[in-house]
Amino acid sequence: MGLEKLKTVLKNERTSKSLELKTPIIGASGTYGYNSEFEDFIDLNCFGAISTKGITIEKRLGNDGDRIFEVQNGLINRIGLENVGINAFIKEKLPVLRQKNIDFLLNIAGSTIDDYEKLAIIAQENDIKALEVNVSCPNVKQGCLEFGLNPNSLFELTRKIRRNYDGFLIVKLSPNTSDIKALATAVEQGGADCISAINTLRGLGIKIDYVGNKFLKKTVQGGLSGTCIKPVALYMVNQIRQAVKIPIIAMGGISKLDDLFEFILAGADAFQIGTANFIYPSICSNLAFELNDFMTKNNFKDFEHLKGAIINE
Amino acid sequence: MKSKNYIGKIKLIEKINHDVYKLDIQSSLNDCKSGQFVSVLCPNKTLRRPFSICDFDKENKILTILIKLKGEGTKYLSSLKEGDEINFIAPLGNCFEFFKDKNALLVGAGIGIAPMLFLKKEMNERNINNYLISGFKADEEVIEGSDETIVGGSVLDNIEKIIKEKNIDVIYSCGPIIVLKMLSQIAKKLNIPCYVAMERVMACSIGVCRGCIIKLVRDNKIDNFSVCKDGPVFKGEEVLWD
Ligand SMILES: Cc1cc2nc3c(=O)[nH]c(=O)nc-3n(C[C@H](O)[C@H](O)[C@H](O)COP(=O)(O)OP(=O)(O)OC[C@H]3O[C@@H](n4cnc5c(N)ncnc54)[C@H](O)[C@@H]3O)c2cc1C
Ligand SMILES: Cc1cc2nc3c(=O)[nH]c(=O)nc-3n(C[C@H](O)[C@H](O)[C@H](O)COP(=O)(O)O)c2cc1C
Ligand code: FES
Repeated sequence: MGLEKLKTVLKNERTSKSLELKTPIIGASGTYGYNSEFEDFIDLNCFGAISTKGITIEKRLGNDGDRIFEVQNGLINRIGLENVGINAFIKEKLPVLRQKNIDFLLNIAGSTIDDYEKLAIIAQENDIKALEVNVSCPNVKQGCLEFGLNPNSLFELTRKIRRNYDGFLIVKLSPNTSDIKALATAVEQGGADCISAINTLRGLGIKIDYVGNKFLKKTVQGGLSGTCIKPVALYMVNQIRQAVKIPIIAMGGISKLDDLFEFILAGADAFQIGTANFIYPSICSNLAFELNDFMTKNNFKDFEHLKGAIINE
Repeated sequence: MKSKNYIGKIKLIEKINHDVYKLDIQSSLNDCKSGQFVSVLCPNKTLRRPFSICDFDKENKILTILIKLKGEGTKYLSSLKEGDEINFIAPLGNCFEFFKDKNALLVGAGIGIAPMLFLKKEMNERNINNYLISGFKADEEVIEGSDETIVGGSVLDNIEKIIKEKNIDVIYSCGPIIVLKMLSQIAKKLNIPCYVAMERVMACSIGVCRGCIIKLVRDNKIDNFSVCKDGPVFKGEEVLWD
């Protein structure tokens, strides 16, 4: 496809574990489905990977009521981790990923440490190359947020998953914290190979209409995503970069080529695209082509050189 | 048929009543069916906006949608001019099922008439007996094209009588959820299948985000279905209304 220049290797220098990507552009969890849902819109060979919808042990139906609330330059979601569950994923979704040769990160979430360990074991048994652990989902009443915001429990959780899983281990961090550096350090020390960030920010959407002498009110509390969160994401990625050596997959409001450059300067080694897929369903492959064109035109040999130039010049 | 992202051109934009605009869009889209919808980019909003397909002219590849003014997205669309470009994803969702020898009743409440007009055209082309009844709150809201138009009252007021008089075997409807629910209950009582086109706020419009979920009872089990991909057309008897 002519995108050889975009080949990206995420490598944990300490353990030498690595993940090879065709391009540094990944479809973010919860916005890209389980496998080939976007194939009408993109060439599956023209982007790095998909991160699957967050998978739990059991099938989940998610939250009742309104799940999407639009805000200026973003949206609040409270899907509540609706997913098919790990068994159905392995039986129905994984074969399609393999048959169509789609590179993927298995995104997992749980309510207890035990859940995460079980999911890690299943990933190991099924020879899944990369695991992205969501410890930061703000939409479920109990569970993952607690692990995600406490360095000690996050260290413990990462260590336990690491013990059961030999593949490339990515931990996805929550931005809903005052000390992202402590969380990043805990994850690195716990044995993760890579950090992805950020998950959605906590947000509250309120809509008030005045109809017939009455205020009609609607409130939706959930996770905020989209271009409005980009400055927060850049800050968080930069903080994480200062705290750890392992690679960072950055996300939060990415929607154009310049955003990729900005995140590289902040410390990113690869990218995920979330909300923007809803508006431009071809964006993951389009950005790869745009990046490739830019590099060709300006004589950047490969993605490593481009990164080096942005950071050092 | 695959969904694709099209850039179309506005061939015609026309105000057809006090707050509804008719848009004719020419593009390379070459097929679609009644019940399906398109998802239109509104550059002033984060999310695309879904609209039912109201007509499709195969020969000239012109798609028609009706847009009722609600907020900023529809206001933007109503400000477009002939010749302007419009970015949309189509065709999306499932479609209405046809039955050759059944007498069909089509019920459109308010702007819900949009997909019913396309359904009526497709039925006429197939020589399927059909009767379209539509209801509007006031004179200035009426959209033409029905066999019977009710202004002021409820479109459901005389529905049972019509069903009996016209020997109706199957019902199709689109409109506010309360109309769809009541119509489904009437249909169930009379033992007639009833197809409803549902609406939900959408983010992705292709089934991945799970933002537009409704619950159905199918095979005695409650499960989630997406309005954008599994729907928007569902069997009324399967919908868990509350
Ligand atoms: C399958 C489907 C078919 C539709 N067909 C038609 C049609 O043929 N003609 C027509 O006029 N309208 C149709 N609608 C409704 C139309 O999409 C909304 O009126 C429009 O999105 C409002 O946008 P706004 O920015 O003007 O208003 P806003 O002020 O943003 O919203 C007003 C209301 O519109 C609805 N809405 C807002 N955003 C979305 C969204 N992203 N997806 C779905 N609903 C939303 C919500 O109920 C909201 O309360 C359809 C909706 C669906 C889901
Ligand atoms: C509708 C929706 C569902 C999401 N579901 C998940 C999920 O299941 N697991 C997860 O780790 N992140 C999930 N996310 C978060 C995204 O992967 C991403 O971290 C976040 O949206 C920020 O990126 P963006 O601004 O590009 O969307 C979801 C986001 C959205 C909008
Ligand atoms: S709008 Fe995303 S699943 Fe329907």
